[in-house]
Amino acid sequence: MEIQEIIRITLTIIIGTLGLAVFGIVFGLFYKGIDRKISARMQGRIGPPLVQPFRDVRKLFTKENIVPENAIPWVFHLAPLVGLIGTISILIYLPIGGFQPLAGVYGDLILILYLLIIPSLALVIGGFASGSPYATVGAQREMVTMIAYEFPLAIIIITLAWKISTINAGDPFLITTITTTPIWGVVGPLGFIGAILLLLALIIVTPAELSKIPFDAPEAETEIGGGLLVEYSGRNLGMFYLMDSVKTVVMASIIVTLFFPYNLSNIIGMEAGSYPAYGVDIVFFLIKVLIVIIFSVTLIRVAVARLKIDQIVYTYWVPITLMALVGLICVMWDTKTGLETIAHMLGFS
Amino acid sequence: MIDFDFNTFIKTLETGLRDFNSGLWNPLVWGIAIVIAFLIIYIIRGFGKTGHKEQTEQTKVFLSGNPELEKEKMHVGGSNVYWGFLDSFKWLYKVLDKMHTGNVSDYILWFVVIMGILFIVMGVL
Repeated sequence: MEIQEIIRITLTIIIGTLGLAVFGIVFGLFYKGIDRKISARMQGRIGPPLVQPFRDVRKLFTKENIVPENAIPWVFHLAPLVGLIGTISILIYLPIGGFQPLAGVYGDLILILYLLIIPSLALVIGGFASGSPYATVGAQREMVTMIAYEFPLAIIIITLAWKISTINAGDPFLITTITTTPIWGVVGPLGFIGAILLLLALIIVTPAELSKIPFDAPEAETEIGGGLLVEYSGRNLGMFYLMDSVKTVVMASIIVTLFFPYNLSNIIGMEAGSYPAYGVDIVFFLIKVLIVIIFSVTLIRVAVARLKIDQIVYTYWVPITLMALVGLICVMWDTKTGLETIAHMLGFS
Repeated sequence: MIDFDFNTFIKTLETGLRDFNSGLWNPLVWGIAIVIAFLIIYIIRGFGKTGHKEQTEQTKVFLSGNPELEKEKMHVGGSNVYWGFLDSFKWLYKVLDKMHTGNVSDYILWFVVIMGILFIVMGVL
């Protein structure tokens, strides 16, 4: 590899990371505003303006950054930083709109799964470092929740990669392979049902990844006063707030990448690689992310009450794991290929 | 010019190779992204207010107004982590508990029954 090539790659990563960090933070906060507005309307309230999350962060940054006397200060300060940085780093492996992932050839889906643990782990470490009984209980619950949802999540990822590997000769865990071989195009009727079950399971895993109702037992404001965040204030809490926003975009982008990696520009016949095509694809991507957030976060958190931690474990290890396993079996037994078969069966062709 | 093969260097840092179809990552690229993300976040963090009033009520832990006891009495033990698992799978543990009779002949019976089922399955398949 030439030195110019190394410099080019390094500069791309630097500029790309800068852009993605700004993108993740700005759109994360904006989506948070939309989520709050929609949930308020569903509850018969007017709700805050869309820019309220930006104001929240600005306000938090003007507040005192209190460190409890029982805390371990350096860990207490470091946890929000690590969480937010780890979350932003996931964005470089995900495709945004018509753009391929910034570091798509330098990391795959397995790496993304590992990196997703960093923000949750940062919350746990921050909770334990707070030196508060409420925060300790919250941190323990976060650990339990992590263990609970990882099992169905692993089944979903492995099933998709396995199915894609039977069609595409490329590395099935590479994001570029997944986006060029959408699951809906490689399954028959039974596999289609399986893929829907896997999508549903992933949509139910998402609120737990984001500590949202009904899986927000680690925070549980009305019970343990915010749990692992109870002692956080000021800019440290602001960092966790930003982390939550960026992680929402990350999780929605993962669902979009795995299940809806389509671009609008090639469907409407625009010239690939042109600026208008990129613009159309970015807008289409943002709409897809918004729809995913509405279904996996907003609707669920408004419709369902909080579960206890034992109910969370049961939910993920029994019904959701079974749902994912049935999805896996459906995809395994699926022999026909393509949506065409389904259309043919329904008499459309 | 650099006098070592950069490709080989990058390759050795990768934990998985393409041929294994999993676990592919390049720590150098991730490291660069982390440094850049750290710089951005550190700058954003710098806009926040620092400091607080030490040795005041605000540094006491929040306990919903309850008095703070001695640290030993306030400690939340690590065994609480397992409560979620133990309570949600009580029904399973009850069955497993009954199966653990401590009687060797029972365990051998289980072994024989499972072996028998395995042979039937293997024979059929």
